Amino acid sequence: MAEEEISSDSPSSSQPNQENPQQTQMLESSSSEFDPKTMRNTKPGVKRLFLTFSVLLSFIIGFPFLWKSIEIYRTPLPFTQIESFSSRIESNPLHFPCQFQAVFVGFDIRVSHGEVGAEITRKMYEFSPNASRCGVCSNYDVSVVVDSSFGCVGKGDLRGSDEDADELVKNCLGNGAGGGKVYSIVVVNEEEDEVRAVVGKYRHAWIVGKVSEEEAVCRVAEIFAKVFVNGGNEGSSIREEFMPVGADGRIVLSFSLLNANPQDWIYDWNFHEIDETLLQPVIEALQPIANITVESQVLYHTPKSSFSYWDDKHGSHIFSTKDLPFFVNSNEWHLDTSVAAGGRSKVLQLVVYIPSAKECPLQLELPNGEISNTNGFISPMWGGVVVWNPPSCRKDLESNDPVSHVISPQDLQMIFEVLMGQLRQLLGLKSDNHYAGQSGTSVLLGSGRGFTEWELDVLSRKHICFNLHSCATTLGSLSRLVQSLPRMIIMDEIGKQVKFSLEAAKFAQSNASNGIYDASAVSSRHSRSLAEDAFFHPSIMSISYYSFEHCFAIYSPFFLPVSMHVVLAALREWKRYKQENRKYLAWKAKAKVTP
Amino acid sequence: MAHLVLSFLKLPMKVLVVLLIFMSSISNAVAYLSSSSDTTMHTNNWAVLVCTSRFWFNYRHMANTLSLYRTVKRLGIPDERIILMLADDMACNARNKYPAQVFNNENHRLNLYGDNVEVDYRGYEVTVENFLRVLTGRHETAVPRSKRLLSDEGSHILLYMTGHGGDEFLKFQDSEELQSHDLADAVKQMKEKRRFKELLIMVDTCQASTLFSQLHSPGVLAIGSSMKGENSYSHHLDSDVGVSVVDRFTFYTLAFFERLNMYDNASLSSLFNSYNPNLLMSTAYYRTDLYHRHLEEVPVTNFFGSVMETIHTDSAYRSGSNKNGGAKTKKSLDQSITDNDRRILRNFDEKDQFDIEYQRDSVGQIRNTILSKLNTFESIDAFVCYGLLLMLPLLIVSTWLSK
Repeated sequence: MAEEEISSDSPSSSQPNQENPQQTQMLESSSSEFDPKTMRNTKPGVKRLFLTFSVLLSFIIGFPFLWKSIEIYRTPLPFTQIESFSSRIESNPLHFPCQFQAVFVGFDIRVSHGEVGAEITRKMYEFSPNASRCGVCSNYDVSVVVDSSFGCVGKGDLRGSDEDADELVKNCLGNGAGGGKVYSIVVVNEEEDEVRAVVGKYRHAWIVGKVSEEEAVCRVAEIFAKVFVNGGNEGSSIREEFMPVGADGRIVLSFSLLNANPQDWIYDWNFHEIDETLLQPVIEALQPIANITVESQVLYHTPKSSFSYWDDKHGSHIFSTKDLPFFVNSNEWHLDTSVAAGGRSKVLQLVVYIPSAKECPLQLELPNGEISNTNGFISPMWGGVVVWNPPSCRKDLESNDPVSHVISPQDLQMIFEVLMGQLRQLLGLKSDNHYAGQSGTSVLLGSGRGFTEWELDVLSRKHICFNLHSCATTLGSLSRLVQSLPRMIIMDEIGKQVKFSLEAAKFAQSNASNGIYDASAVSSRHSRSLAEDAFFHPSIMSISYYSFEHCFAIYSPFFLPVSMHVVLAALREWKRYKQENRKYLAWKAKAKVTP
Repeated sequence: MAHLVLSFLKLPMKVLVVLLIFMSSISNAVAYLSSSSDTTMHTNNWAVLVCTSRFWFNYRHMANTLSLYRTVKRLGIPDERIILMLADDMACNARNKYPAQVFNNENHRLNLYGDNVEVDYRGYEVTVENFLRVLTGRHETAVPRSKRLLSDEGSHILLYMTGHGGDEFLKFQDSEELQSHDLADAVKQMKEKRRFKELLIMVDTCQASTLFSQLHSPGVLAIGSSMKGENSYSHHLDSDVGVSVVDRFTFYTLAFFERLNMYDNASLSSLFNSYNPNLLMSTAYYRTDLYHRHLEEVPVTNFFGSVMETIHTDSAYRSGSNKNGGAKTKKSLDQSITDNDRRILRNFDEKDQFDIEYQRDSVGQIRNTILSKLNTFESIDAFVCYGLLLMLPLLIVSTWLSK
């Protein structure tokens, strides 16, 4: 209706002015003539304009409120910080400063100490070409002490028991410079021909015997680079990326004793004792790397699922390494009972398998025909299995009831030595008691805690590196995910977790560069688990959130028609007012001319 | 006025287009970034088996899923690494003539619902949301370990789904649907978080191949029972149970696996080539462009079984107290067992058994064809009339003989 008015108005107002000037003049000349189509003598009313504009205005004012009300709550995440953190982690690996000290006793070295140090450093780089790899010492700081009479080590003192010598060297070095985090090697030049190199439980090693200067430098460099820095395993049997630590920084060690056939015999173990005496020190030693809990169980009726055959030569039943993949009978071995383990903890199964009477004794044959001396194997990220044969494989035929035994403490000790070897293997460490290098073999001393201090350093470095990398990739994925879902709610909790994760990562980095491994390992673990928590937050589900198109589709059916009418009405009213006003002005102008 | 409306619409449309382009470029970047790390070792196997249909007439879907469950368990995947999702409990259905039993063959030789069936998600727990939570790992903290897919970067995952589907969707319980982009998104996030090394998606539903169209993550292999526009049919009807008991695609998959035991190393390509479109009445479609290994070299047990990667423990760890310094330094030997070194133990009995079964099936097929022929009669009434007329002379003859 209004449209018609406008369209009928406009041609009529323009036509007379152009086409018919004579007529207008004629009209003008007769001043009393008043054309209601082109002019009006009253001011146009603003009531309608005011009304429509007030409605429009209220809509415009209301729009921000609507926008706010349908807004999605998104905690601001520090995208730029995440970006810079992950690019920093990617581009330059962590710097672990390592200090080395070589003490030469009984040498007549003519060149300066600095030159010997430089020579050792050069040799060390030769021994470890991939020094840029994450988790190794980045820059070597070698200091050399030449001491003609190394005060506290008397002649032949280091030839005694290695344990005593270890303590002796520790005390000697402890008094000297640094002590704490310095890796040191004492080289004692003696008359005896046999050269003996021993790596102790702490952060030092010693070499005694008749060694030349060059040889000594070479051996020192090798022990530094290969043992102290790399943990003594090139071509390690387990890939580096398999870190058997759960995303929440926990490991559950689940020990199971499996009686394959309880009709033959039943064995029990005194696990409590083992836990207290053997496991607690290990758990304490690994505390910075993972939060370890222990559980144990004894299971009956658990036959293995691979085959074995009788071998006369060995006088035992044989299962070969080819059968190992099928050894674990996952349908009968109900190992994963851990209710205590949280959703993202890692459970490592350590299994002791007692064969039944018809397959006893059971031995593992290696591909070269030898019998394994551990009788055990591991599966990376899963755990390990040890086969333990009862002392006598003869079943007591007279008694119908199965006889129950308890594994003797000596046997249990031996079993746990193998299990400890498996745990170390799972963590990527070898358990040989020697290290055969290019320049000679060194003896590696074992620690009662399961891990020597320098091994713990190696593990810490590796884990710090792995955790920070994992944290960076997780946060990077999270930020990409969050940015790709603009309509997703991001809870405060996620924001907090991301913030704390970044803080912990920063702390870990600064600690690592200061050489404080324990604190760094702990905070890197925290940063990883917080990042994982944020990424796996249950509120992040793409399906629960609708896209912008969806939002548009919901609100447009109501708001689009209504707002369209309001806007159109306001436009029309404005147009009408302008036209009416022009008419009024035309009349006014005429009235001015004519009076 | 119409013009005005259009110009109003144009602005948001432009914004939308820009947004869409932006989002797709982000997703591409994500997919690109996650394509690193192919070097990790395969350490474990997981299986996620999903039946998405409810109601009695979808009996066959539950039977499909339980058959696959039984197969992967037989081939060595332990229960704790199988996530089994069953939408309805056919075993306890009031219409089940065989309570607490589920069969996938009319010979009723194998009860799929025997002992040791651990259903992780059942009934109304089988939702699209829960399914995606299992895949992406985003659970509430209270969810127990047994309900989680705790895979890592060394895992091979088998994802089997069956139900009713259509073009780019799969229905869940007749109330929701899983769309192809939801699946692709979940897989992308799994890849991003390194939750698998390789993933085999196997889908038995109508137009199954459309479900894979949006997948972009590397390391994913997908096989579906039918192409776009094709239906996936059931294999045969069990007249005792009263419904169809197995789908064709699953039936022939199971037939393939019945011949295998866990020591076998039949390749994936032999599985994929075993599908005969004439028997399936649809074309099995597999998508390999995201998968980098040759199918001829991949044993089926890489996905359907569990072969542990094992390493021999060379030496025990002895602490200083019980070891003398000059301990024997024996040359150590560590031996990692590769997947290829495995014994082939063909069980001939099993093979024979299968052959017998196969013959039985062919008999059943003949019967089915006769039945379907019979159904082509104009109407069942006419058929009954003919039958009665045929019986009349028989009656006359028999009465005449008995005199």
